[in-house]
Amino acid sequence: MINIVGNTSLYLALLLSALQTFCFFKTEKKFIKRYKFFVSGLLIFSSIAFFSLMYGYFVSDFTILNVFKNSHSSKPLIYKIAATWGNHEGSMLLWILVLTIFNFLIFKLHNKQNLKYVYKALQIQGFIIFGFMLFTILTSNPFQNVESFQSEGWGFNPILQDPALAIHPPFLYIGYVGFSAAFSLAMATLISQAKIADVPWHQYIKTFVMIAWTFLTIGIALGSIWAYYELGWGGWWFWDPVENASFMPWLLGTALIHSLMIVDKTKSLQIWVLLLSILTFLLSVVGTFLVRSGILTSVHTFALDPSRGIYILTFMAILGGYSFILFFQKSKYFFSEKYFSFLSKEGSILFNNFLMVVVCATVFLGTIYPLIIETILDNKISVGEPYFNKTIIPITIPAILLMGVAPIFAWKKDNLKRIIKISSPKIIVTIILTLSFLYFYKFINFIGIIGIFLAFWIISNNLLNLILKTKGCSKETILAHFGVGLLILGITSSSVWQEESVARMNVKDQVTIKNYTIVFNEINEIKGQNYVAIQGNFLVSSKKNKITNLKPEKRLYPVTNIITTEAAIHTNLVRDLYIVLGNGNSNDGWVVRFYINPLVIWIWIGVVFMFVGGILSIKKSLNKKIIIG
Amino acid sequence: MNKKIFLVPAVLFFLLIGIFFYLLLIDRDPSELPSMLINKEAPQFKAKSLFDEKIIISNTEFGEEIVLINFFATWCSPCREEHQFIKKLSNEPGIKLIGINYKDKNKIAKKWLNEMGNPYSKVGVDKNGSIAIDWGLYGIPETYVVDKNGIVQYKYIGPITKKTYKKFYSQIKSLNNEKN
Repeated sequence: MINIVGNTSLYLALLLSALQTFCFFKTEKKFIKRYKFFVSGLLIFSSIAFFSLMYGYFVSDFTILNVFKNSHSSKPLIYKIAATWGNHEGSMLLWILVLTIFNFLIFKLHNKQNLKYVYKALQIQGFIIFGFMLFTILTSNPFQNVESFQSEGWGFNPILQDPALAIHPPFLYIGYVGFSAAFSLAMATLISQAKIADVPWHQYIKTFVMIAWTFLTIGIALGSIWAYYELGWGGWWFWDPVENASFMPWLLGTALIHSLMIVDKTKSLQIWVLLLSILTFLLSVVGTFLVRSGILTSVHTFALDPSRGIYILTFMAILGGYSFILFFQKSKYFFSEKYFSFLSKEGSILFNNFLMVVVCATVFLGTIYPLIIETILDNKISVGEPYFNKTIIPITIPAILLMGVAPIFAWKKDNLKRIIKISSPKIIVTIILTLSFLYFYKFINFIGIIGIFLAFWIISNNLLNLILKTKGCSKETILAHFGVGLLILGITSSSVWQEESVARMNVKDQVTIKNYTIVFNEINEIKGQNYVAIQGNFLVSSKKNKITNLKPEKRLYPVTNIITTEAAIHTNLVRDLYIVLGNGNSNDGWVVRFYINPLVIWIWIGVVFMFVGGILSIKKSLNKKIIIG
Repeated sequence: MNKKIFLVPAVLFFLLIGIFFYLLLIDRDPSELPSMLINKEAPQFKAKSLFDEKIIISNTEFGEEIVLINFFATWCSPCREEHQFIKKLSNEPGIKLIGINYKDKNKIAKKWLNEMGNPYSKVGVDKNGSIAIDWGLYGIPETYVVDKNGIVQYKYIGPITKKTYKKFYSQIKSLNNEKN
């Protein structure tokens, strides 16, 4: 029954998206009437489809193939719900739902002046929805029936049964898909050769890019938290192709937010903003392609089905081909002859934009280089962490240095003496903070010192700008930039000064790592709702003072017959103690890995600051009444 | 400004799409990673035997029959899963199995082999991973097939499983037939 409801809604939504793409209208009244019908209809039907599947998971309806393959009646409720988007087909429904929400918001932009413009944007957005809808129906329909009666499902990949991961995809998709709105608006700008004086298209794009960027930031962070405690490798970022696929649109989105400020202020750089809007969304689609086509191996790949890959690729070729040709034809209308000094806000933003694009291109090259080599030389190679660290760190150093001071630059042209005068107290504070940090931690390492200096450079600039109420720095910018400072602090400390130790331990054995003594107290079998586990109990103490008992687990999920490791972590503001229980038995002992990750928590605290900065920015944009209701 | 510069994104984009199409349409397995060593002479190596430090295992092992070099460690759980298939291979005629114990403790490795069964005719120790570097190890477990002439013919990354055993064995067998 529920399959029929879901399936019918999918087909109806497909029809509506086709109508939205190809429909014409004569008067303003007709436009509003028709398009209100299309966008609300699309939102309603894609919601029905999505929630039908969720309901199927909720009641464990194993007549639906998708539920049968990805769920089990013994699974905790929250993971039954999260399973809706924890598989390829269901996640496409979420993707479509978010597309239609943004579609609705684009419609809400309309007023008397911009009717034609909004119409063009809705056509493009309608086409994107049509493309993904057709893809879902043809290659990944979640509402297929199970052929024979099944009383129980196959279960859900236990590694995905985790609260952070349950909410990671919705945030990530708001990010990815939010860029579709920026894309549609940029395309509408090109098609209608819109002038900012008539249609403030850069403000529309900015609102959507802010939404997308903010949610993508938190989405990526949630994924990294999950990787940190679930994969049990002691790290939180692995330069996996799919991580890169989310990081690349984030980089371009960041560049886009900043260059939109220039358009807003001086009307220059319009071509650049339009190109970035196109590229950012196309990179999101490339990400989808890489994850879902099976062209690369990664921990994230959903299912290996070449027909899906061919479809997305064809769709991407049409979308990209059309947008680049349009860009080539129309970009001349957006050319501006305004020039500005390098030493100005525009100059610094443009320079950092350039560096962001170089970082993005470097990540892109590293991700697809194995594919290029395979095509040309028929050789298989892999590109790993050393490449990314060696190439990306040097490019980001000047970007971060500039980021600290750029917000105080004046528009058009600034004076070096003035900047040095304003910045000198900040330089002193940075040096004092860096030296105190190094004195306190006694960490000496070249890259580490640079990283810490840069982190404190950003932190002290933003703190002082806040305290001194420096002109030109908005609260939102300060919050988000301050977050980046904390992020760099966390990244540098936890990666440069991570301590690792592996030992084979029997009960009552003890090891010492740095100042910590860890005693293996006992090992027990425990039973969870849908798993059984062996749980180690480790007493951690420092200078004979007990700190905590850590209980890492090795779980067996009998339904899927998958074993997972659950790291036990003790977090405080200065370090994480991280223990992973490996293989072993009571005779030979157990392989136990310990990590001390200094200041790692600041990565995610930093992200929270960035997120709050982003949310406040969105609020500010919305207060300008860009989207009318 | 030369307007042709605005064609650059389009050109790069279509090149990329072309590569993606090509890779999707040809028959390929993304987890198969061939080695630079294939069809080349096996690298020189010397390893102390796990069971008797005085015995040195080296390239003199190659030449009489097909040799499988299997990198393993007790701390690697896929190696444990693979072990039964390594044992199965050791029962096949015309194959000599040499294990390289990678970054492990000798005592634990000996115990592990005692418990799980020792399918190897010899086990060398690679305590600091230097042999692995010479062989271009990607990750363990990893298995190299060296023919009678000391040439590396295949490299297999990851554990040999029930699914891949057949294919792997038939490759070795065909090698045996060719050389006979």
